[in-house]
Amino acid sequence: MILGQADSPPMKPLRIPPCARAALALLPFLGAAADPPALAVRNARIVTVTGPVLENGTLLVRNGLIEALGGNVPVPANAWVLDGAGLTVYPGLMDALSTLAAGADLPQPGAASPRNGPSAPSGATPARGPEDRPLTTSWIKAADTLQAADRNIDLFRQAGFTGAATFPTRGIFGGHGAVINLASAPAGKMVVEPSVGLYAALATGGAGSFPSSLMGSISYIRQIYADAAHYVAMKEAYAANARGRQRPAYDRALEGVLEARRLLLPGSRAVEIERSLRLAAELKVRAVLYGGHEAYRVTEPLKQSGMPILVSVKWPERDPNGDPDEVESLRQLRLRAQAPGSPAALAQAGVRFAFYSDGLQSPDQIKRGVRRAIENGLDETAALRAMTLAPAEIFGVADRLGSIEPGKIANLVIADGPLFAETTRIRYVVVDGVKYEPVQRENAR
Amino acid sequence: MRALYLAAALAAALHAETFLLRNVTVHPVSDPDIPNAAILVRDGRIADVGTRLAAPKGIRVIDGKGQHVFPGMINSATMIGLSEVGAVSAGNDVGEAGDFNPQLRPLIAVNPDSEHIPVTRANGITSVVTLPVSLTGTSGGGIIPGHASLLRLDGWTWEEMEINRAAAMVLQFPEVRLSINTPGELRPVRIPFLEARRTYESRLRDLTTFFENARRYQRARTAGDAQLRTDIRLEAMLPVLEGKVPVLLLAGNERAIREALAFGGREKLKVILGGVRDPGAAMAAIKAAGVPVILREPTDLPGREDDPYDHNYSLPARLHKEGIRFALGSFNNQFARNIGFQAAFAAAYGLPPQEALRSVTLSPATIWGQDDSLGSIEKGKWADLVLADGDILEPRTNVTQVFIHGRETGVESKHTRLYRRYLARP
Repeated sequence: MILGQADSPPMKPLRIPPCARAALALLPFLGAAADPPALAVRNARIVTVTGPVLENGTLLVRNGLIEALGGNVPVPANAWVLDGAGLTVYPGLMDALSTLAAGADLPQPGAASPRNGPSAPSGATPARGPEDRPLTTSWIKAADTLQAADRNIDLFRQAGFTGAATFPTRGIFGGHGAVINLASAPAGKMVVEPSVGLYAALATGGAGSFPSSLMGSISYIRQIYADAAHYVAMKEAYAANARGRQRPAYDRALEGVLEARRLLLPGSRAVEIERSLRLAAELKVRAVLYGGHEAYRVTEPLKQSGMPILVSVKWPERDPNGDPDEVESLRQLRLRAQAPGSPAALAQAGVRFAFYSDGLQSPDQIKRGVRRAIENGLDETAALRAMTLAPAEIFGVADRLGSIEPGKIANLVIADGPLFAETTRIRYVVVDGVKYEPVQRENAR
Repeated sequence: MRALYLAAALAAALHAETFLLRNVTVHPVSDPDIPNAAILVRDGRIADVGTRLAAPKGIRVIDGKGQHVFPGMINSATMIGLSEVGAVSAGNDVGEAGDFNPQLRPLIAVNPDSEHIPVTRANGITSVVTLPVSLTGTSGGGIIPGHASLLRLDGWTWEEMEINRAAAMVLQFPEVRLSINTPGELRPVRIPFLEARRTYESRLRDLTTFFENARRYQRARTAGDAQLRTDIRLEAMLPVLEGKVPVLLLAGNERAIREALAFGGREKLKVILGGVRDPGAAMAAIKAAGVPVILREPTDLPGREDDPYDHNYSLPARLHKEGIRFALGSFNNQFARNIGFQAAFAAAYGLPPQEALRSVTLSPATIWGQDDSLGSIEKGKWADLVLADGDILEPRTNVTQVFIHGRETGVESKHTRLYRRYLARP
């Protein structure tokens, strides 16, 4: 655990190469400026993801955007200049499904007691059927409840994460996710895209509350979409001619569902993946699956569906709270051995996928998870893509994020070696053009 | 139906527990089978068995018509007499509150009119061990729920049914329990291993402390301490500590078995290991301890998804191969009548048929300390006999008469009553 870094200001005292020191004296306005000054990285290896690797290039960042890159880019006199010799610049990493800074959970009807299910306030009312909109907060948006003060933002940023698709994940319809930049900035400034999809799970409620079975949860999702279609028809008819018509009741749950640009559906085991693919086809929604541990078994149906899948890097492990003497089933052991091979299988099949943290609290664990995928056959380029461009594409923000191209948001990781290697240290992280220097672990401990 | 007519005919002729049962094949269990034999019963006991027995003058002669005679079977784990219908709380006398109740002897709570008694008896089971624990649930009854009583399935009162009211003291050995069923919760609540382990250790400490207290009580009593206040719980522990009454240690899986045996060894108890389901590598420990075992039903489902389908079917055969003495117990009431068929399953999966029969007759009699009076057809033993038209372990065999202490109990039960009732439905 790295301590104390959460309070670190975005602008740390910079180690300025001698060539830029003269320029420093000319910048008395710096502290007051709203926008960070231009930033240049010279003589660095630049992995663009979309284009070829520049072995010895210069990258210029201005106004939070990538302004130029190439072998010979003129650097403004007032720019901070980093000597990139021996360093590699990557697009900043993105956690494709996170709850980082997503904000406080709101009460939902029919939620389980805190002891058994996902955390819920006690005294939640039991739901009797779909009409009670159980386990639903489809109208809330992570962008609106964003907690800029979340201490984990800095933790993840230090590990090279510059962005996340962050979702309210509780219940059946958790809420709308946002793509955010992990900047030390007010919540509004962190948001890149406020509404990228609606998180859904096949959750069940507490005892005596609908739904309490898998089939109940699925039937509820079906009912919600049927209700939404009817709701639209009623609203349109009413809008066309209100006179003499009964006013359709406003339903925030349906409003939230209708607003969804994508529906995130669970799919970890093969049977769950196939189930969610069928459900998405039936509901005629654009879906993004999440889970993916047993995806190696169902790459074909995934490929045919054209739906992307987010793969959890929290690979199945022996339950640390389980009985150490318990003999595990072959099924469990097989899944544990083969799950980290799923990304390679997806890459080979040409299925679009991205990695997500799945509740892992430490970025080190996430990297270890990615390394396991690499050890199990995923090439490093594909791994990098699954944490940069792929999530940007999946959530429709690839025009702004995910690669090093002029005009895109300047989210970068600058490391002293291959990004996923164990010994590699991250030297700088740039978010929205602002440079952060991770506290080195040795010092932090 | 033939069985019913015969039973009726026999009942009419009945007046005393003295008779000659002839023209039968005798399966003594203790000895090889004897075809064309007769059994002389006098005052409820077996007076003689042989092929050339002459009927003493004036004695009642029962013609067995070429049928087979077996010793009455013994089911080593039931709640018969204590629990009628599990879901009806008024009919349940099991699972007293509190962790330590060694003073409870279930015999005195046995309902002699329980419908389970004739139903079970009609399949040839003449004695059962009844336990004061809730055998279906995992909780209830505490660590020492009371004693196990051995009773015969015939009698007007519980006194008449007694074989041994304190056949063993029951000890449900604490286990590390990782999930707990809670009323009002849909699923069992998962407990982290370390927490479960702590709970287990604290229960184990309670158990050890209870035994320590019992030993202190024993010493004070031996020393004639005038100040000693009588404590009936600790009083009930004295025969156990002296090794006069065995302890039925209920432990199912490998870890529990090991720890239960270690406990029994430390406390120098006379141990009967009960409820064994998944001994795994603890088989050697059971063998080394030299303790007998009460096995659960061989048709229990395997505990783990990768276990072979015959994991439990073949367990009796594996115990037999190791030379471990064992008997079968149902650990339930409603299927207590099937214990012979359970033994047959074990025979189908490697247990020699003679051993299968022994596991429900002579072995339990020996384990429960009644091998001088029960479990085989031998001179001097009680005439607990089963007359049947075939092998008693075969489900297709009809039991035609059951004798307990020489008394013909018949094979009428709620099942035959319902059978006749619905047969007669217009």
